[in-house]
Amino acid sequence: MLQLQNENLLISKTLSELIQSPQLVDRIISDFDYTTFHLTTPQDENNLLISITSKSFKDLSKYNATNELNVIYEEFKTDYIEPGYDYSIQLNLIEISNKSQEERDQIIKDISLLKRHLLAIPFYHAFKVYNSLAEEYTNSGVEPEATNEIFEIDYRDEESIYIQPSFDRVTVIFSTIFKDETDKVFGKVFLQEFVDARKRAVQNAPQVLYSHKEPPLEIRNLIKFKADEKKGYITFVLFPRHLTVQKQDNTISHIQLFRNYFHYHIKCSKAYMHSRMRFRVDQYLKVLNRAKPENEEVARKTASGRRFLST
Amino acid sequence: MVLTNSVLYQSQSLRPYLATVRASLQASLCLEDFSSQLVERHNRPEVEARKTVEALLNPILISRNENEQIFIETSVNSVRLSIKIKQVDDIENILVSKFTRFLMSRAENFFILRRTPIEGYDISFLITNFHTEKMLKHKLVDFIIEFMEDVDKEISEMKLFLNARARFIAEAYLTPFD
Amino acid sequence: MSFTTTPAVVMGFAGNDSPSFVFPTAIATRSSAATKAAPNKPVFGSTSTSSQSNFLASKRGTEDLDFFIGDEAIEASNGQAYSLSYPIKHGQIENWDHMERFWENSIFKYLRTEPEDHYFLLTEPPLNAPENRENTAEIMFESFNCAGLYIAVQAVLALAASWSSSKVVDRSLTGTVIDSGDGVTHVIPVAEGYVIGSAIKNIPIAGRDITLFIQSLLRDRGEQDTSLRTAEKIKQEFCYVVPDIVKEFNKFDRQPEKFAQYIVETTRGPKKTVDVGYERFLAPEIFFNPEIASSDFLTPLPTVVDQVIQATPIDVRKGLYRNIVLSGGSTMFKDFGRRLQRDIKTIVNDRIAASEQLSGGTKSSGVQVEVISHRRQRNAVWFGGSLLAQTSEFNSYCHTKQDYEEYGPKRSFKIKYKHLVDKSN
Repeated sequence: MLQLQNENLLISKTLSELIQSPQLVDRIISDFDYTTFHLTTPQDENNLLISITSKSFKDLSKYNATNELNVIYEEFKTDYIEPGYDYSIQLNLIEISNKSQEERDQIIKDISLLKRHLLAIPFYHAFKVYNSLAEEYTNSGVEPEATNEIFEIDYRDEESIYIQPSFDRVTVIFSTIFKDETDKVFGKVFLQEFVDARKRAVQNAPQVLYSHKEPPLEIRNLIKFKADEKKGYITFVLFPRHLTVQKQDNTISHIQLFRNYFHYHIKCSKAYMHSRMRFRVDQYLKVLNRAKPENEEVARKTASGRRFLST
Repeated sequence: MVLTNSVLYQSQSLRPYLATVRASLQASLCLEDFSSQLVERHNRPEVEARKTVEALLNPILISRNENEQIFIETSVNSVRLSIKIKQVDDIENILVSKFTRFLMSRAENFFILRRTPIEGYDISFLITNFHTEKMLKHKLVDFIIEFMEDVDKEISEMKLFLNARARFIAEAYLTPFD
Repeated sequence: MSFTTTPAVVMGFAGNDSPSFVFPTAIATRSSAATKAAPNKPVFGSTSTSSQSNFLASKRGTEDLDFFIGDEAIEASNGQAYSLSYPIKHGQIENWDHMERFWENSIFKYLRTEPEDHYFLLTEPPLNAPENRENTAEIMFESFNCAGLYIAVQAVLALAASWSSSKVVDRSLTGTVIDSGDGVTHVIPVAEGYVIGSAIKNIPIAGRDITLFIQSLLRDRGEQDTSLRTAEKIKQEFCYVVPDIVKEFNKFDRQPEKFAQYIVETTRGPKKTVDVGYERFLAPEIFFNPEIASSDFLTPLPTVVDQVIQATPIDVRKGLYRNIVLSGGSTMFKDFGRRLQRDIKTIVNDRIAASEQLSGGTKSSGVQVEVISHRRQRNAVWFGGSLLAQTSEFNSYCHTKQDYEEYGPKRSFKIKYKHLVDKSN
């Protein structure tokens, strides 16, 4: 598995099972970044309540998250929000099961993307600001003052996403933390390659900048947590080509999984190192076991009783 | 045998280094049973116990450069040798420590491997007279030499892998943006 | 979050009523690339098997990311490019490389979690070697940086799962676990959370034997469909345990409605009807009278349970008789527990009577025999894990990454059930 998917497999699996044969459930499903889903049937097995809670919701609610989600999940919206959760939708499974296969698949897909849609909200807002600034620029020909508005989402403990729109670009900054010394070193190697990749191979990609410990200038005064050795800041500069109407959905889906992708691959490399080392250990043991005399070959003799020359 | 095998990829300065290590090891692995003079009916590796001065010999330090050294401490019934593995940057540093830790957590299988290295070195071996009685001395030396050769190669291969992987991952991530 | 790794991996989150994923521990790895590259890379690992060495040899390779697990693996292995392997054999991890990648994929693709944020509960079979536990810890902490790890013995979790039964009054971790899956049935005595290893017994009669037995009965009668699938379905839907087979035979003769019919749905061709007769109660009977199905193992399950308990230290036996817990799919037959309880009771009472007679009139206080069945039997181990993991104290019993780094894998994994027992009382 190279890329992480945006869909939550478990949600789509559970949903398609439940649509086929409704039953009473009470299940918790997790997703990255302290996101938890709760699937329950509070009244009867045909009414499924799906609730989501996410670490980032507090910040996202500043951008009208509930309303935005209600637009996407128009069909299922409900005024009720399950206590302990941030947002809920209500599904009538009977209704859904009467729909055509394609419609059903679409619904399942939409719901399995709930977390993606949630985290996409500030990005869309930022892109909107960018559009209006860009328009202002084309109309007036004067570079508009960069707004000081920076969208800030604390999506994990001590790790945040910052989005800053301007008239010709949108800057997305991730702050991340390496809990482990190995991760830190591996992470540096990885990030260096992210920075270089654009120069070398993928010219059309967003520009990537990386700074260790010191936050980039744009967000310096926003940093709440004290700088330390374990912190890293990765800046993506999205250019207009990434921000077109056709591209923006893809861009958002892709960029919001950056941190997970990045840490996932650090872990994969460590797993690979482990296999290598296991292999090495076996090799060394073989060499060492040669030192044991019982493994020595018995001196071979020819039929006439003469010995072979030992090498 | 091992030497000829590895000549192909040995740089010029590595060969004399390993040859010296080999010669010194062969000389120092001349061990015999030695009853402890402090505890009755015990045999302690004197090089570890360090209590009986007359059983200890002068240690040998063989140094290729300041990053690559081997320290051989000898005594009448045991030899302790510690290796400093080449590491020039953070990455090699972490790889070496990961690798040696992995090995040392499996020390039981390795008989002569010490669970912790002595200070200032990355990995230590302890060979006692019991080992040399049960195992072939020259093969033990072969093992050490082969280990020293391999470990550098392994570390640099791992480093190469990491860079290659990082590059691949970065490109794989950035390509879909287009 | 908990995993169970038996022939099938079962995983899910603490507190759920059923596991999130159940699939075989199969992994499909890329094979064609490996064989192609074999001749030109002799540098690394001259003596190992080709696929392994090549996977490691290619510095630029990303073969280690190209694999599937579970049902997807089985699907992928139908093609040419992938070959299938099972990293776990007989409940023991055999291929650590594959297992590590199996976990990697489970966590990131299926459970979608950052392991740094979560505590993991893994299970191990009884009598697992400490090396396995250490290797597991090494992977979980070094590769995945998981926040905390707890490795529990399956039998102990099965005991914990029985707490959901209304019959259980004191939540103790003392009892006998009868774990019957597809291939083998284990009888495992557990005292205060510790498995009494020396007394464990295995019986080669389990789910698969029952299925095969049904199949042979169907074949003898010349039914229309005698496939293994049909036999399996009949086992799951129709079988039950009776107190006395002779009486049940009579009942069948008198009441023809006892015979059932199973309709085989086939995708093509007409539906086939299979009559289901005596196998309804005969099939599970092989636990109690093995001689009807096999000729090489003849000890009935109740006798084995009794032998197991008799092999344990005398001071725990009463507890073991009092709390006999069922776990695994093959213990799901209706009235299985009741029959087992009766049979064990008979054995125990006979022994008590005999000893009373020998001692000349001293009365025994009696031994209470209780077999606990509950609704969670099928995934009892998983459910027990889920139950333990959601207790508020669970996290404090976990081994954390800090522990691991400070003490290494050796020292850390001393099992701490004692606390769990204290807390639960």
